Amino acid sequence: MRGIGRILATGIAILFVAAACGGATTTTTASATASASPSKPKFELASFMYSLQTKGKLRIGTQEDNFPFSVKNPATSKWEGFDVEIGRELAKAIFGTGGDVESNIEWVAVTSATRIPSLTDNKVDVIIKTFTINEDRKKQIDFSDLYFKTGQRILVKSSNTTIKEAADLAGKNVCAQKGSTSEQNVTKATNGAAKLLLLDSYPACLLALQQGQADAVSTDETILFGLVKQDPTTKIVGKYFSEEPYGIGVKKDAGNDRNGFVPFLNTWLAGIIKDGTWAKLYEKHITPVAGDKKQNPNG
Amino acid sequence: MPGGIAFEFPRLFFGGFWLTVQISVLGLVGALVLGTVVALFRVSPIAALRWIGGSYVEFFRNTPLVVQLFFLFLGLPFMGIRFSSDTFENLFRAAIVGMATYHGAYVAEIVRGGLLGVDKGQLEAARSLGLSYPGMLRYVQLPQTFRAIIPPLGNIAIALVKNTSLASTIGVAETLSAAEIVETRTFRTEEAFLTATLFFLLLTVPLGIVVNGLERRLLVAR
Repeated sequence: MRGIGRILATGIAILFVAAACGGATTTTTASATASASPSKPKFELASFMYSLQTKGKLRIGTQEDNFPFSVKNPATSKWEGFDVEIGRELAKAIFGTGGDVESNIEWVAVTSATRIPSLTDNKVDVIIKTFTINEDRKKQIDFSDLYFKTGQRILVKSSNTTIKEAADLAGKNVCAQKGSTSEQNVTKATNGAAKLLLLDSYPACLLALQQGQADAVSTDETILFGLVKQDPTTKIVGKYFSEEPYGIGVKKDAGNDRNGFVPFLNTWLAGIIKDGTWAKLYEKHITPVAGDKKQNPNG
Repeated sequence: MPGGIAFEFPRLFFGGFWLTVQISVLGLVGALVLGTVVALFRVSPIAALRWIGGSYVEFFRNTPLVVQLFFLFLGLPFMGIRFSSDTFENLFRAAIVGMATYHGAYVAEIVRGGLLGVDKGQLEAARSLGLSYPGMLRYVQLPQTFRAIIPPLGNIAIALVKNTSLASTIGVAETLSAAEIVETRTFRTEEAFLTATLFFLLLTVPLGIVVNGLERRLLVAR
């Protein structure tokens, strides 16, 4: 109980300080906007982007160990990866390219399970973390348009020549994370003929694969990239047998507190795809593991 | 109706329940046998046996069951040991072995306590009547021990039934696992876990009644 009390007390203290700082910035920004540097984008006063700009911080939620999308480099403690750079582009679009973009970003580490709560509890402004857009999630939060498209594929040992497509999984031991959509997709693709080994994590699945206790591991291609990096004696096979479109997650616009944010994100995304920034990021982060090049998320 | 969701996913829930029953029963038998042997080691007149028994108890009592299960399922194959070449049979046997070894350590301590609790005079009388050490154990010490330790053994049995749910972490499709899978498919969290709870109560409550009855009957016989 004492620990909880202390956490609560710290939380309240932080709130007070935050409120005090918030008040201070609002008063100073009145003059700041008057003499705003020309490189800063201009937003409507009522928009969420304007309030971010005046606060000077964008809180981006992403995962610390989600290669090749977001990794906090343990040696340099710098954030790297495709999702991370998308986040930096977003910060540039809000705060302008004048200053150091990193100073406008507050990185918040999240996991798959904490993505939605951190948005609804207003702990982050955006979630950029291999976040699949689907109907169930749309009931709780808003998504931008998709900025990345992947799907479910199959990981097998390099020596395996019998499993080539999802249909070949029938009668085989297939490992997937318990309670994931991946598990349901395997069941669908094989009409329930695959024998599912359901573990709590993908590294455990990789172990089972290495020992021959599982014949294949199946989930989003992006996660499989990470596993292949850990164990180069495995390979990814087959076409996509599910579609996983990734979007940027934001809190629902309740009482105008996210005014104009999703339309802004969509325009900005279309912009960085059109001007080739997206293709450059893809080539830098995804091409080394996937081997292909893309001009846009659908290409 | 609470638990009604089990009939919508009978293969998951009833199949899972059957696995829970099997792992519980076989695990409990294993734990009782193993625990008794280890306890006899611990009170043995031979120092080496005492040392082996003591190490066994310390090791298995002081490491988490989940870790032991992971070791049995994903660790042993690295040493070329597998309970079965079929993955799912291997999982099932690993779960039973895990239940037996872990709870065996607790059973051993209870049995040892019971053995030490038998009146010294009884043992001296047995030996002076000409009974050998094994004979004394068999006819005098062990019968009195088991009569006395029924209540704590009942505790272990109930704990074991509940702990079988940890086998879900190594992929055994038992009752809790069924609830987890149904939850993610239907988003009906409360129903799924309430059903799993009912299934466990279905095992543990009667088990408690049996243990109590056993205790009363044996008390009368004394």
